[in-house]
Amino acid sequence: MMSSSFAAPSRRDLLFLVGTAGVTGMAGGRPAWAVEAAKGGGVLKVAAPANPSSLDPATGGSGADHTILWTLYDTLVEWDYATLKPKPGLARWSYPDAKTMVLDITEGVMFHDGTALDAAAVKFNLDRNREDARSNVKADLTSIAAIDITGPQQVTLHLKNPDTALPAILSDRAGMMASPTNLRALGTETNRRPVGAGPWKFVSWADNESVVVTRNDHYWRPRRPYLDGIEFAIIPEAATALRSVIAGEKQMAFSLPARLKPIIDRARQLQIIATPTLYCIQLYFNYARPPLSNVKIRQAINFAIDRAAFVKATMGGLGEVATMTLPSSHWAYDKSVSTLYPHDPAKARDLLDAAGFKNGIDISIGSYNDQDSVQRSEVLQAALGEAGIRLKFTRGTIAEISAQFFGAEKKFDMLLSAWTGRPDPSMTYALGFDQGAYYNAGRECAPELSQLIQQSRESEDLATRAAVFAKIQRFVMENALSAPIAFQYELDALAAMVRGYTPDLLGKPKFENVSFA
Amino acid sequence: MSSHRKSLIVVRRLLQAGPVIVLATLIVFALLKLVPGDVAVTLAGDNASDARIAEIRHLYGLDRPFIVQYAAWLWRAAHGDLSASLISREPVLISILRCFPHTLLIVALALAMAITVGIPLGVAAAARAGARIDGAVMTVASLGVAVPNFWLGMLLVTLFALDLNWLPATGAVALGESVRGAFIHAFLPACALAAGGIAEVTRQLRASLVEILSSPQVRTLHMKGLSPAKIMWRHGLKNVSVNLLTVIGLLFNRMLAATVVVEAVFAIPGMGSLIVNAAIHRDFPVVQGVVFAMVMVVVLLNLATDILYTVLDPRIA
Repeated sequence: MMSSSFAAPSRRDLLFLVGTAGVTGMAGGRPAWAVEAAKGGGVLKVAAPANPSSLDPATGGSGADHTILWTLYDTLVEWDYATLKPKPGLARWSYPDAKTMVLDITEGVMFHDGTALDAAAVKFNLDRNREDARSNVKADLTSIAAIDITGPQQVTLHLKNPDTALPAILSDRAGMMASPTNLRALGTETNRRPVGAGPWKFVSWADNESVVVTRNDHYWRPRRPYLDGIEFAIIPEAATALRSVIAGEKQMAFSLPARLKPIIDRARQLQIIATPTLYCIQLYFNYARPPLSNVKIRQAINFAIDRAAFVKATMGGLGEVATMTLPSSHWAYDKSVSTLYPHDPAKARDLLDAAGFKNGIDISIGSYNDQDSVQRSEVLQAALGEAGIRLKFTRGTIAEISAQFFGAEKKFDMLLSAWTGRPDPSMTYALGFDQGAYYNAGRECAPELSQLIQQSRESEDLATRAAVFAKIQRFVMENALSAPIAFQYELDALAAMVRGYTPDLLGKPKFENVSFA
Repeated sequence: MSSHRKSLIVVRRLLQAGPVIVLATLIVFALLKLVPGDVAVTLAGDNASDARIAEIRHLYGLDRPFIVQYAAWLWRAAHGDLSASLISREPVLISILRCFPHTLLIVALALAMAITVGIPLGVAAAARAGARIDGAVMTVASLGVAVPNFWLGMLLVTLFALDLNWLPATGAVALGESVRGAFIHAFLPACALAAGGIAEVTRQLRASLVEILSSPQVRTLHMKGLSPAKIMWRHGLKNVSVNLLTVIGLLFNRMLAATVVVEAVFAIPGMGSLIVNAAIHRDFPVVQGVVFAMVMVVVLLNLATDILYTVLDPRIA
């Protein structure tokens, strides 16, 4: 895992950390062991933006849970912070043949309750995740036909079809290992008493108030974690979360909106972290019915969007123009697709004309009513208006508008929302574009695309997979099945005393390398 | 008033509370079900599919008819079980018992500020109606009504927490943990909440007092040689006390509602935060529980107000 630390960042520094090399070994003239020893101790106080949906990885549903879940649970597979390339976690994986995956589990790992993390525990977790009625990760593991224990520390997964997305899937909820002893004892009420094998142990959770974790002294990785504990205070209002850091009450606030950056700049003694993430602000289309069943109109929308201006106007420049659903730093990014839709209102008008809408077109669109979404919608409305695409907005809460667009109601032609990203790109395309997928509002998918999505999971070789994803991205963008606009940067504010924090491409902080100065 | 009559009022009010609770929770439940959005989608998680959402609906009994779901909730509530959050599974009663003290402390402190500052200001303005002090007090009171409490809250935080570092910017401490800490944390939110209350008490008190003080009865008292102070305290304030009580009762209810915004500004894990989060995710057992608790508080407060009316003015009984 890449480890990186900030060498006393100066005030008002903006640190772009993608691709930064780890700082290890000698620091300040001291040997590595002395630096390591000096890092121990302290309780980090963090402002977290949302109450967890559950502390049981299998039953939870919110993308905001991960930051807290990762403190309690280690995953079978992990990823590189900057690129999300999978790498061994609690287990090493191999594919003896296309339809068999073998997991070799690290020896000597114990859950917080003393239960051994062995092959039986891994099989118990994976079986539960794919069979329990309350499990929300069943869909991730449908390719598994059976799981056998083939050694004290080895399980073999027999697959229905080749699935090389599994390593990435096992770096997510499905790969978070929970104590079987605890789960058996809890029955169906597993949400609030988590026992994992992560760097910290659970202490308390008061809804909408706090989650507290304390150091796991028997953690399997040597010299980790550095922090004695972490106290997450649930503060949904981002400006309030930032104020708590400025006031010195908390030492970190994460997932802050770009509009708060000037305030962080003005604050004394704060580190600012701003890095790209997979979080893609985009227009979802319902292309199963007119008018967006016409590809020319969808392409016109893509040409009409001034992505660079959008990033500047709505994100204060803290974003990356999105020309596909993956950012440029991702291992499966394909540069050749990025030039398909330059900002060209004239071309958009021509396409509308060719589609039979010489005088422009009215399009209904759903959007959310928070401050940032309203600003985005206004900028977009102006840009598309120039090309004769008149957006008719309906705004509401995320739950309300999303349900109206993706659910049975099928309201609006399109939706201004975001895709939060997944560890494996095949998950993104399967969930957003495949036949019957919930986030594909029209539920229709060209057989060719379905086939490509399946094909993307057949090879273990990343270069081969990247080539398939290039085809998928080209298909999606040439057919304009969505309009990606911008990747949001992860914006975090940290007290000057916090060291070793490295952001990741998922935009969900991990704390294993964090310590105090 | 006889204690028998007081008991009658208490019994009557408590009996009225039953239908009010049923009606309020039924309306809120219906609203939650009528507006778009579905807790099943939240429960199904990020990787939701139509099939999974349908499965969740069945698993959690969300596919039952609306009235059956409401009746099931009401039946359990009537037996003292407010159920648990559909999402996090925290028992609703535990959430309420943890959150309500934070909210009540802020509201009680704000109300105390409104009364202790508002009454002297109202008296001062009424005693010198038309004079400069009256104009000044009324101008400040108008500002108090006009300034949004969240904005005032942010100004207070910037000045007293961030610049001067005198008071905490966010969070709350339970009374059981530290009384001093609880009051220190509640002070700024209470100030933000109290501004409108001070203004309201001042304006209402002034208007009522001016009316009383210009009445023929008070003129007679002046002619009899009673000192202005005695007239104000014995005849003025006593006569407006019922009006004042009504204003304070209404103010309490309004402040309880206003905490939703103030709690967000100060990151206070109170009832406002609880209901907002639950309503966003359509977590109806939590919403129902909070509404139930709020209705109970309002009913009890109205009851206390009614009893105080009869103490202040025996004619009311």
